Amino acid sequence: MNRLYDSMEPRVIDDGMLKLAVGEQGPQEEAGELAKQEGILFKDVLSLQLDFRNILRIDNLWQFENLRKLQLDNNIIEKIEGLENLTHLVWLDLSFNNIETIEGLDTLVNLEDLSLFNNRISSIDSLDALVKLQVLSLGNNQIDNMMNIIYLRRFSCLRTLSLSGNPISEAEDYKMFICAYLPDLVYLDFRRIDDHTKEVAEAKHHYSIEELKHRENLMQARLEEEQARREELEKHKTAFVEHLNGSFLFDSMYAEDSEGNKLSSLPGVSEFLEAYRDKFVIICVNIFEYGLKQQEKRKTELDTFNECVHEAIQENQEQGKRKIAKFEEKHLMSLSAIREELEMPNIEKMILECSTDISELFDALMTLEMQLVEQLEETINMFERNIVDLVGLFVENVQSLMAQCRDLENHHHEKVLEISISTLEKAIKGDLDEDLSEDVRALFVDKDTTVNAVGASHDIHLLKIDNREDELVTRINSWCTRLVDKIHRDEIMRNRKRVKEINLYIDHMKSELDNLEYSDILD
Amino acid sequence: MEVLREKVEEEEAAEQEEAAERAERARTEKMMRPVEVRKEETTLTQETLRDLEKKLSEIRIPVSAELPAFTKDIIDISMLPVSYKTNMPKEEQLLQLADNFSRQYSHLCPDRVPLFLHPLNECEVPKFVSTTLRPTLMPYPELYNWDSCAQFVSDFLTMVPLPDPLKPTIKREEKVLPKKYTIRPPRDLCSRFEQEQEMKRQQEIRAQEEKRLKEEEERRMEAEKANPDALHGLRVHSWVLVLSGKREVPENFFIDPFTARSYSTQDEHFLGIESLWNHRNYWINMQDCWNCCKDLIFDLGDPVRWEYMLLGTDKPVLSLTEDYSGINDEDDVENLDKEDEDKSFDMPHSWVEQIEISPEAFKTRCPNGKKVIPYKRAKLEKWAPYLNRNGLVSRLTTYEDLECTNILEIKEWYQSREDMLELKHINKTTGLKTDYFKPGHPHALRVHSYKSMQPEMDRVIEFYETARVDGLIKREETPGTMTEYYQGRSDFLSYRHADFGPRVKKLTLSSTESNPRPIVKITERFLRNPAKPAEEDVAERVFLVAEERIQLRYHCREDHITASKREFLRRSEVDSKGNKIIMTPDMCITFEVEPMEHTKKLLYQYETLMHLKKEEKLSRHQVWESELEVLEILKLREEEEEVHTLTISIYDTKRNEKSKEYREAMERVMHEEHLRQVETQLDYLAPFLVQLPPGEKLTRWQAVRLKDECLSDFKQRLINKANLIQARFEKETQELQKKQQWYQENQVTLTPEDEDQYLSYCSQAMFRIRILEQRLNRHKELAPLKYLALEEKLHKDPRLGELLKMFT
Repeated sequence: MNRLYDSMEPRVIDDGMLKLAVGEQGPQEEAGELAKQEGILFKDVLSLQLDFRNILRIDNLWQFENLRKLQLDNNIIEKIEGLENLTHLVWLDLSFNNIETIEGLDTLVNLEDLSLFNNRISSIDSLDALVKLQVLSLGNNQIDNMMNIIYLRRFSCLRTLSLSGNPISEAEDYKMFICAYLPDLVYLDFRRIDDHTKEVAEAKHHYSIEELKHRENLMQARLEEEQARREELEKHKTAFVEHLNGSFLFDSMYAEDSEGNKLSSLPGVSEFLEAYRDKFVIICVNIFEYGLKQQEKRKTELDTFNECVHEAIQENQEQGKRKIAKFEEKHLMSLSAIREELEMPNIEKMILECSTDISELFDALMTLEMQLVEQLEETINMFERNIVDLVGLFVENVQSLMAQCRDLENHHHEKVLEISISTLEKAIKGDLDEDLSEDVRALFVDKDTTVNAVGASHDIHLLKIDNREDELVTRINSWCTRLVDKIHRDEIMRNRKRVKEINLYIDHMKSELDNLEYSDILD
Repeated sequence: MEVLREKVEEEEAAEQEEAAERAERARTEKMMRPVEVRKEETTLTQETLRDLEKKLSEIRIPVSAELPAFTKDIIDISMLPVSYKTNMPKEEQLLQLADNFSRQYSHLCPDRVPLFLHPLNECEVPKFVSTTLRPTLMPYPELYNWDSCAQFVSDFLTMVPLPDPLKPTIKREEKVLPKKYTIRPPRDLCSRFEQEQEMKRQQEIRAQEEKRLKEEEERRMEAEKANPDALHGLRVHSWVLVLSGKREVPENFFIDPFTARSYSTQDEHFLGIESLWNHRNYWINMQDCWNCCKDLIFDLGDPVRWEYMLLGTDKPVLSLTEDYSGINDEDDVENLDKEDEDKSFDMPHSWVEQIEISPEAFKTRCPNGKKVIPYKRAKLEKWAPYLNRNGLVSRLTTYEDLECTNILEIKEWYQSREDMLELKHINKTTGLKTDYFKPGHPHALRVHSYKSMQPEMDRVIEFYETARVDGLIKREETPGTMTEYYQGRSDFLSYRHADFGPRVKKLTLSSTESNPRPIVKITERFLRNPAKPAEEDVAERVFLVAEERIQLRYHCREDHITASKREFLRRSEVDSKGNKIIMTPDMCITFEVEPMEHTKKLLYQYETLMHLKKEEKLSRHQVWESELEVLEILKLREEEEEVHTLTISIYDTKRNEKSKEYREAMERVMHEEHLRQVETQLDYLAPFLVQLPPGEKLTRWQAVRLKDECLSDFKQRLINKANLIQARFEKETQELQKKQQWYQENQVTLTPEDEDQYLSYCSQAMFRIRILEQRLNRHKELAPLKYLALEEKLHKDPRLGELLKMFT
């Protein structure tokens, strides 16, 4: 292909080529003159055509942020690249090139129409990001595996597909297979699929499709489940009590505690351990539930606050709008009166009046704004106090519950120590149970070893509990600080924006009036 | 005469049916023989039911003497049944009884008005009031409940003032009449309140108000003086009392037969009760009416409070509800006779005929389908549906003064109009006319208010916007402007306002060409389009056509208080070098709340301007089309007003011409079918049987001969018919041949007309010949079959069958 350009030097897309193309394809006639006068920014271009230019490499396109349609057909491109920035692209034509693999399209989420006709592609993949894909042209390539079709099932919007000129299109079952596996397809190889063909195809591949569907459904269900689980966890995390609704913390205490595990095999310890575990889990669950409840409370508090603030702002804005509307009504009339007035002194007087009006409006708007700022400040402070109190209460209660955990641990520790000592005594006496394993026996050589082992286990447990507690407290406190900071910051931003807006408006009004003055004087 | 009868009877029917249905209610007619009660009033009293008790506060003996004067010219007595003209012995007896009762009463209560016991009926025969009532069940569901039934009755009554309202000058006890009578003073109260309000605010206004009030007071006093009611409390009226207890009637109440309104027994309009009656008995009120009817106790079983006339009819019982329910249960219409036998040993059966109300009469409601009800400063006219050609069914006229001379406003209600006009409201003071339409007008009109039907005048047209493609709700016009309001459009347009300049006179005025007024300014407003960001979503655009300016105002972003604005000056100027200026920065004045980069570009502004120019053209076209539409609507309205076709429901078999025709056609077909059947049943044996001696049984031989004769006769007829067709066929053929010959001979000399004539003759003749030929062939084919069929029939004929069978 591209015989015409074979003689030409292979080219890379460069600034000059782009400018030329944009200029040629931009607005014409009067608008074109304007465009030339002003120059066109690449980011304003919506459609670009770069065909028959013997391009070997795609490059320098990153400025075309808003490009919707890009034609790169009939070049000698070998690799899809440099399109990452063109996220608004809807229409991409890469036909009649030398591309071998589909790649580099992962950011083009808005793409609806993709043409890769007449390339050297052998398998359909890497299109996952193209969720809006409607038209896919892959004719005259080297796709030879029918399983590629199944990959296309994920594109729920796909209506038009062309695959003719590929090895698979030679297959006897080609059309039926595609119709059966892509039931939403409307056009195949530029022809409409009639209902009859669809029915026949479906009947033919009924069983395999059912099976496929079943698998897909299972997969879907699994994904959803996973999603749900993740969301649940996320919810717990926002309440800062994740993994407390079970034995997770308890298990983690023993996970790194080799001595503890060894000790638990001592006779009598396992019973204690069981009871200890049960009590511990109950406390954890208490914390968990309390946490969720508190989270709900905080959320309600925050929602109420947001709602009130929103209402207040809305109300204030309405007032401002009314003031402006009233002003504009009057202002427009005065302006047209000024335009019609002929006497110079009168004009001056009226203009003066107008500018007074403008300053009055400015004052009124600023007063409104300041009033709102004060009101909001008060409310925000109140909210801050409340939320800090809530968090404090929560932390306090969690800490007391955690203390219960520690008590349990201490109690358990004493028990274990007791049993260990008695076991040690037995060991010294030499009437240790036969069925104790060798490494457990190793703990009972002398008192120091035994006490150390038990102590180490205890320390690990306490450490775990402390860590969990610290984590919770730290996180909730930082959440609280961030929230409050954000509210303050937002309010400041809002205030600045409003003041800026008012100033901008007033400036505009003033300059309009000034212009009027000048033009009048000129007249 | 007939009319009146009917009226009376219908009332009765209505009442009776009501009573029949709600037996639990005792209906009472109270008679305070009103000055304004005319003869119909008397009849009205008759309408009460067997459950009704009547009280006559005053017997109007003199009235009866006067009644005939009224009746005579209305009712044709000769057509009435005997029971109207004479009294049965039992009735005579009852009358005597009544006289006796009346005498005792006037002896015992000399200061009370005489009882109203037996007025003269339309045939000038005295009839006891109770016997004028005859409970009847009517087939109209509207008459089943008291409210619609009363409405029906009231529609049928017309108020006719008596020549001398004080004719029955029987003085009513003064004590019964409560002193307070004035034209209601609420206005006074209200304004005094207002005064107080005013006083707090401004002294001056208050003084003015006072003055105004005084004037009004004077005016009212004057009006009052002009119309003093000297007869207050002297008038006698009769109305209906419904007693509680049955059919879910929770408490006693009155019905005024003229207005069909119900009143509580506490109502102060009712000053007292003299007597009550229903179709079974007659009671006199023995209670004091000093406090109007408020303290009355309607326990008719209490002989101390209610003096009954006939003992046997209703046993006096104290517990009204129970007993009445008992009685009334037996009292259903079907049981009337039985009931009479059972207990009303004295009360004779009603002498009036059962009422029949035809569906037409029922629909027509009022006598002649028209009724006028005068009110204070207002007049209500009612017509039956379809009576007026323009569908007018009622008209309410309000007047400024008591004499009803200065019309304030007129409201006319229409029905079944093809243009769906429902109500026409004419305000005489402002001259504003408002037409209200039901859904279904070809232009989806809902309301049309105007002062004149001329275009380009003040006018408001409202539409059923869902019926319109463009979502137009309202179009307001003044001589210089047109404003349109829209809803639910995909382009979010909600408002369009056009200002017109004075019409420019065209020099080359060709009269057919329309000369629209120049548009000076178009203002369009749009609702927020959620698909666009606020700063790109135009809220208002103003095309100042004359100044070549376009102003845009954008929507306000949610968190802002100001909105972006843009103004284009569309001057196509030429610069110093003579080049055309395409676009310069000063052609577009922009205020942006959050300045954006791309909008600063001249290219962007140019494109926007081009787009707006196109839009301006479209908007101007729209305005122009709207004007045209108004013209069209006005034209259509005028046509509709002239034609005023009425729609007729397809279920209305009487009025729907089409269905009537269809029905008649069907009937005709049925009739013809019937005739044909009769024909086919002609006795083919009859001519032959006649020849045989009558009354004798046929012998077998006779039967065979009969059959043969019949068959041969039939055969002959078939042959004759064939011959006839053959003969005609030959005749036609010969004639044709002759004609052809003639043509051949004279062909040269023929005029074209003759030739045409000849040709048309030929084609006709050929047609006739062909038909005759076909008929002949058909006859030949069918004749044997017909013959066989007759033979078969004869075999099966019961008169011959047996004998022939034996023979074969």
